[in-house]
Amino acid sequence: MPAGNLPLTDGLWSPWQHQVLRGHSLLLGPRGPEIDKLKEGEAVMSDLLKDKTQRREKRTGKAPSEGVRGKETTGRTNVKDSISTVSCVDELGHHDDNARMPVTMENTYQMGPYKRFPVPAVTDILKDVLTSYLQEEKYEVEWSQKMTKTICEVIRARVKDLMIPRYKIVVLVHIGQLTGQSMQISSRCLWDASNDTFASYSFKNSSLFGVATVYAVYFE
Amino acid sequence: MDEFHTEDETGFVVEEVSKIIKESVEAAIGGNAYQHSRVNQWTASVVEQCLSQLSKLGKSFKYIVTCIIMQKNGAGLQTASACFWENSTDGSCAVRWENKSMYCIVNVFGLGI
Repeated sequence: MPAGNLPLTDGLWSPWQHQVLRGHSLLLGPRGPEIDKLKEGEAVMSDLLKDKTQRREKRTGKAPSEGVRGKETTGRTNVKDSISTVSCVDELGHHDDNARMPVTMENTYQMGPYKRFPVPAVTDILKDVLTSYLQEEKYEVEWSQKMTKTICEVIRARVKDLMIPRYKIVVLVHIGQLTGQSMQISSRCLWDASNDTFASYSFKNSSLFGVATVYAVYFE
Repeated sequence: MDEFHTEDETGFVVEEVSKIIKESVEAAIGGNAYQHSRVNQWTASVVEQCLSQLSKLGKSFKYIVTCIIMQKNGAGLQTASACFWENSTDGSCAVRWENKSMYCIVNVFGLGI
């Protein structure tokens, strides 16, 4: 799939391609310490409160010390009864011949971006998209799986429409259920702070919350 | 300029990065139970350790590391991301980690300079 029919300013946009990552669904088993029933793709309802200024705590009681070693959980043996899974990128479409060979661009002798990334405009886009897609909805598993990916793509398309040259875009969307639990989302970046930036917005209604973040990285 | 490196080294190497992430998460929150008062410091330390290990790889990449720590409460969470970048030089890796009382999802995006 070509990267779009954007008019090229300096020819740098054409080789870039779209990717949509496979969404993660967090599965929670029945309330309680068991994680035996965790499987990809099921999600159990529970409250998730995502509010940056205040978080309601739900004391689950002091869990027994996690230093219990050698405890089997779902059959994946792990010394400390913790499990980790790695997911990779789900590529949309094709592996072309350039897959393993990076394209070398000619030097443009440009010291910095001529047009900076407009953070307030993008925040408005995020607010608009999240509100329109999530306003009166209720959290449901399959629906929210599709909706997360759809929202990602819509946001990416709208940010691309702004046509900021030489910026690579990463869009991250989380949708979760509101059940009063506690959660922390944080990120840190190693980049050039004078050129690179991000925008984010969070939305909440009575049954779910949605958080969208866009990172814009200048291509030197 | 002659290329002395194999092609693998010029792109984003997922296995290496995922190993780094797992180690950072284990080191930062390994044997702990979810504690609201400490979660802030945990996410910060996971992210910082990941970033410092990644920068030690010495590759010419810009990194974005995101960490979500969520208490286990029966809640559902969906996460997705879409990127507009150069497939041959850029990549990402996501690692889901859990223990008895919490989940931790770490996403690393690496964009080649």
